[in-house]
Amino acid sequence: MRVYQLATAAILVAALGAACSGGSGEPSATSGGGAASGGPVTLTYWTWVPNMDKIVSVWNQAHPDIQVTVSKQAGGDDAAAKFLTAARAGNPPDLVQAEYQMLPSFVAAGAVADIKAETAKARGEFGEGVWGLVTLGTEAVYAVPQDSGPMMLYYRRDLFDKYGIEVPKTWDEYAEAARAVRRKDPKVFLGTFSSKDPGWFAGLAQQAGAQWWSIDGDAWKVAVDDEATRKVASYWGGLVKEGVIDDTPYFTPEWNKALNDGRLLTWPSAVWGPGVLSSNAPKAKGKWAVAPLPQWNAGENHSGFWGGSSTAVAAKSAARAAAATFATWLNTDPQALGLLIEEGAVYPASTKGAALMTEAPGYFSNQPDFWKQAAAIGATARGFTFGPDVNVTYNAYRDAFDKAVADRSDFTAAVRTMQDTTVADMRKTGFTLAQ
Amino acid sequence: MATTAPAGTRRPAGIVPTGVLVLGAVYTLFPVSWVVVAATKSKAELFSTPTFAPGTGLLSNLADLFAYRDGVFWLWLLNTVLYAGGGAVLATAVATVSGYALATYAFRGRGLIFNLLVGGILVPPVVLAIPQYLLFSEASLAGTYWSVLLPQILSPYSVYLARIYARAAIPASLLEAGRLDGAGEWRLFHRVSLPMLTPAMVTIFLFQFVAIWNNFLLPFIMLGDDYRFPLTVGLYTLLAAGANQPSLYNLIITGTLLSLVPLVALFLTMQRHWRADLSGGAVKS
Amino acid sequence: MTTRIRQGAPRAGAVPYLFLAPAMVLFTLFMALPIGYTAYLSLRRTKVSGLGLGAGARTEVFAGLGNYAAAIGDGELWAGWLRVLGYGALVLALMLGLALVFALMLDAAHVRLAQITRISIYLPYAVPGVAATLMWGFLYLPGLSPFGDHPFLSAGLVTFSMANVAVWGGTGFNMLVLYTNLRAVPREYYEAARIDGAGELGIALRIKIPILVPAIILTTVFSVVATIQVFTEPTTLRPLTNTISSTWSPLMKVYRDAFVTGDLHSAAATSMAIAGISLAVSFGFLRVVKNHAFGED
Repeated sequence: MRVYQLATAAILVAALGAACSGGSGEPSATSGGGAASGGPVTLTYWTWVPNMDKIVSVWNQAHPDIQVTVSKQAGGDDAAAKFLTAARAGNPPDLVQAEYQMLPSFVAAGAVADIKAETAKARGEFGEGVWGLVTLGTEAVYAVPQDSGPMMLYYRRDLFDKYGIEVPKTWDEYAEAARAVRRKDPKVFLGTFSSKDPGWFAGLAQQAGAQWWSIDGDAWKVAVDDEATRKVASYWGGLVKEGVIDDTPYFTPEWNKALNDGRLLTWPSAVWGPGVLSSNAPKAKGKWAVAPLPQWNAGENHSGFWGGSSTAVAAKSAARAAAATFATWLNTDPQALGLLIEEGAVYPASTKGAALMTEAPGYFSNQPDFWKQAAAIGATARGFTFGPDVNVTYNAYRDAFDKAVADRSDFTAAVRTMQDTTVADMRKTGFTLAQ
Repeated sequence: MATTAPAGTRRPAGIVPTGVLVLGAVYTLFPVSWVVVAATKSKAELFSTPTFAPGTGLLSNLADLFAYRDGVFWLWLLNTVLYAGGGAVLATAVATVSGYALATYAFRGRGLIFNLLVGGILVPPVVLAIPQYLLFSEASLAGTYWSVLLPQILSPYSVYLARIYARAAIPASLLEAGRLDGAGEWRLFHRVSLPMLTPAMVTIFLFQFVAIWNNFLLPFIMLGDDYRFPLTVGLYTLLAAGANQPSLYNLIITGTLLSLVPLVALFLTMQRHWRADLSGGAVKS
Repeated sequence: MTTRIRQGAPRAGAVPYLFLAPAMVLFTLFMALPIGYTAYLSLRRTKVSGLGLGAGARTEVFAGLGNYAAAIGDGELWAGWLRVLGYGALVLALMLGLALVFALMLDAAHVRLAQITRISIYLPYAVPGVAATLMWGFLYLPGLSPFGDHPFLSAGLVTFSMANVAVWGGTGFNMLVLYTNLRAVPREYYEAARIDGAGELGIALRIKIPILVPAIILTTVFSVVATIQVFTEPTTLRPLTNTISSTWSPLMKVYRDAFVTGDLHSAAATSMAIAGISLAVSFGFLRVVKNHAFGED
């Protein structure tokens, strides 16, 4: 592949040398996609899973008639925006990694195909909750689930011992612990509230029982500021205002530094956390441990989801069946799942895949039952249906909570802003809204 | 700072100007020196050792960067050279003939054409990128090398520079004399004017080379296949690694440092040719 | 000035048009057409029915000037203009001021280390905006900064911190433009003044700065246009702090509408407004200073 690209580059250099005005170029016709007549089907696949090319090459070797080319993309919102633009312009890749919260936007834009017929075999491999995320509660199937992110509490076991703190079982205990830590060492925080990670906040809201969107007949019901969400917001708002919780956003260099220096003791995160911790805070290897998220009421047992994605097939793909076959293989075949876990650091959504996780990640070698814990917590996670304009809601989260954090103002007002912005956008676009 | 010295006394050493310039240089080199230091830090050191303490990870950072996706960094580098080199050559050619024509001929619509071409500088690239992408898609060219090359050939600033320079550098009398000798217009341009325009062409080439080398948004929107990415977009995929993946700061910092090396080398070797005199014509005449 | 000499420039039939053909073709394809397309998009909007799921639920309809009305009525966009105004004033004053000082110092009579300092000050021009912002971003963060725990990215200081990045990146280029202009001045100009007893400062103020006026005007126009379009610095700094919103500058709002919330039509309308305002500001500025400006028609 690379040799081929290099050759193309060389030819272009030569062509440029000869060109003199460059008014209009010949199509170089090297863009992949679609079924080549006669020869094998070529599929392009946009993803940001590390080492996906290694996993795909296993497929390519076994399936000479369906060749998949991986194109590694920037992840997150950028990837979604880029895919939507490409779909709008009529030249999307055949396959795309779609985060669950973005899938409804892709469906609403008519960018991904219904692959129900092609994925009938895959249905049995996934639990009810995660499957609902790719059907959006309709009859159609818009993607094959790849990974999921049940949330749990990561904490520094060594520092908990040092400061004499118990692992909090409820959010009240978490708040108490936050105050206790500040009293013992004013340089250290128990945790931080991130105004940059709406997915994190959504997961905490899910834990509390929020339902931001739901479908009511032929109308959308939007309840971003429901009781449960307001409870979560005012809880964190109180801690930030009190000054016992930090406000450094996650994934920033500053946050990395705090993790490395042992100035942050907990991280309510998802099952994919070890990859981030081991890369950003390599010094703390073997010092972290996991526990279930603190609960709102003692004795309850709930969690939420942060992140997770699926493999979708573009509506414009000329080789829908082949693409769906590959997507099914990638996310349900035992060999593929093994590779996803090993090479891609992915926590598979399929029940079979989760069972393959036995040996604890190296970073958590001190906790040999890591995956057992994770599976038990995963079973308690509850999600909600995502709406067709999650981007608007998430962006409103960042802007409103950035401001609320900076001004130390009311977090429930920020939640109301999210609700109002979401409803206004949906109304403007013409979605039918339930009252 | 009146450093006046009556003739005959010892000349002042220019302490004030030298001091000011050294301060300026310290200011500009400060963050660059940080990149150099940071590139030597290993993953563990980057966020734990003091800011300007050198680390021990330079070699492993380089090895990691070159091993990433089987050495895709080199391909990004090659692509960038191709986009910047090819684009700058074509941009220089187009700007030179345009500037020459605008400066030396009187013809209907000259003012309008000049204003249109130079007015392009008022349109932000962000605004153009999406419609350009949609139009390229219509032509089935989106995602190809052409989709990044072609839109960067016309540079309003370069046209402006070429015209200003041509006005100042080419005496009308010379062209007149050539015409009396029976030389054709193309020959006049090619043989008489082009040599005089060489300094401007070098400047335009360098200017456009740097502009394309550093461009991010256009290739980011146009390209899907990461084997065609230029460095800016490629390094960005390391930064925005995805929601559940850590950003590869070591690789980004090392990659940034390496991507500066060719430009700095170009600067040092070509610095005599950097003129960038926008209004040279106004002063020289 | 040259214009006078050129009055008798030849009428050469089709020749100049042929020379200009490549530029005009490129202009039509890659500027005019996309701008026209943007104008078209700005007059339309997406209409969804029902749940908006399934094929055909989403259509594009004519919106008239609705998107423009929304852009004008958007308080956040106006606030963005205000922020950019403050930021722009800061950047322009500091960047062009420093560029002028450095250019004069380089051109002063007995300066040492001129070559090495000139290249150093010019170097940031080679650094992509994203990289420059990331570098400074690291140096601003309280946990990482060598300056201790100054809140560089707090609400009160963030504008200055951002302006610093732009000043750092742009001073060298502008300095070189001015310096090159100074070098073109025959040295004899200054000798006469020296004989009259003028010092270096006097020469700088009385002779060099007036000579530089046209160049300063031009660099100002280009800098104003670049400032109106400020985008990279705030966008790159934004993930590091909670003091920069997604609509901090008007162009960021365009980006947000087009790429984050997927409303291409609002983005198109705002784009047209930004281009219009850039046009008005730069032409207005040129008109005000016209008597200083060169012999351009």
